[in-house]
Amino acid sequence: MSIEAINEQLLRAIGVGVALLDVKSFSFHFTNDTFEEWFGTPQEGATLNEVLTELDLDSLRAGLREKGRYTAETRFKKKRRTMVIAVDFTPTREGDQEIAVLVCQNITRIRELESMIDSYSMMVERNNREIKREKEQVEKLLLNIMPRAVYEEFKTFGVVTPQLYDPVSVLMLDFVGFTDMVASADPSVTVTELNDIYSAFDRIGEQFGCERIKTIGDAYITVAGLPDPTPDHAKAAANAAIRFIRYLERRNSSHPNQWRCRIGLATGAVVGSVVGIQKYVYDIFGPAVNLASRLQEFSEPMQISVQDDMAVVLREQFEMDSLGTRQIRGFGEQEVWRLLDSSKFVNRTGT
Amino acid sequence: MSEQTLFEKYGGFSKISRVVLSFYDTLLDSDDIGPFFDEVDMSRMVDHQTKFVASLLGGPASYTDNQLRQLHSHLAIEDNHFDELKVVLGETLEEHGFADEDVSAVLQEFENRRTLIVD
Repeated sequence: MSIEAINEQLLRAIGVGVALLDVKSFSFHFTNDTFEEWFGTPQEGATLNEVLTELDLDSLRAGLREKGRYTAETRFKKKRRTMVIAVDFTPTREGDQEIAVLVCQNITRIRELESMIDSYSMMVERNNREIKREKEQVEKLLLNIMPRAVYEEFKTFGVVTPQLYDPVSVLMLDFVGFTDMVASADPSVTVTELNDIYSAFDRIGEQFGCERIKTIGDAYITVAGLPDPTPDHAKAAANAAIRFIRYLERRNSSHPNQWRCRIGLATGAVVGSVVGIQKYVYDIFGPAVNLASRLQEFSEPMQISVQDDMAVVLREQFEMDSLGTRQIRGFGEQEVWRLLDSSKFVNRTGT
Repeated sequence: MSEQTLFEKYGGFSKISRVVLSFYDTLLDSDDIGPFFDEVDMSRMVDHQTKFVASLLGGPASYTDNQLRQLHSHLAIEDNHFDELKVVLGETLEEHGFADEDVSAVLQEFENRRTLIVD
């Protein structure tokens, strides 16, 4: 077999579509097997635009004239599959004849893969957005049950080391007759109102730098001086306590359901930590918590009882009455004080 | 930790992409099911197959029953079409080295959606 014969056979059988065209008329001189497989065998004297109908002949002429090359992409359906073929024209000369060499590559698979990557990346990106949103919700939820500093530790290390906060001031609030209220009124109304009140307490506490630790039914516990130590934690807790009562008084004046509370305030050490593995609860433990709880029991409705040590600090700024010495379970005998709302005190003496 | 999906088990997108393309090829060649895709644009068709395979294997796509019903409501899909697609799907998974029990699990997932697709 001669070299020429081999060349021709190669050209026919190669997986690239090849055609030779007359530059002026764009009629076919030669087409190889692959070209014919894709576009069919051109009829005698057929021109380019009859075979590749999508092709823009003016751009092709301009491309060949100005750049000596023209490339484009053409699509057609073979059976029902969309075929995408890249076409590439270059001019050449055979004797005195000007010829355009057309080389066609099948880029169907590439386009299909690109479509698949588009499809997949859109799914993944959408999922990522959802995951991000969920993560934010989890974060929000966790921030509701633990202070941010504790949450950061939890996120970084997966655990929270119990930490001693000393001193802090604990405010313990309990509602009077809550059990009766739940039993006598519509429980869902009662709980909705309780939620409103707790939300208001949270906002008030926040203004004074108090961190709400938890609520147990109708008991509300908030702490000043945690997680960041503050020198005036006692005043912060006292201020919050006074505002809690003012808030309830104002609310009661315009609501059928009357909410009355007792508050206990105590200063001391607490240990804060996340408790539980599956159900995380951030909680505080220590004498200050127990003391605040006991003192709360000494309060008459809408009154605030204060531990002696704390009263010493508060006396500079707040009006206090002594309730005398009381036996406090687990703490022995201590003097207990009543914290007064000085704004009312001024009003009362003024009139 | 959540259980590993088949999508992860069989190598994630880099491997599953091959399943998708070979499934796509087979569907187009099939004279029973192929005609449903006669007028469908290529990128939409690929998108459809990618999501189809991904959702069956627990990949990042998922369709609600309502979406599936709506997407197929305008097509006259009969039980025999559904059966044929099931065969093609099973064969494709086998060709790509899916274990028998995984193939049947996927086909069961597919079967569960029959009433949504066939009208």
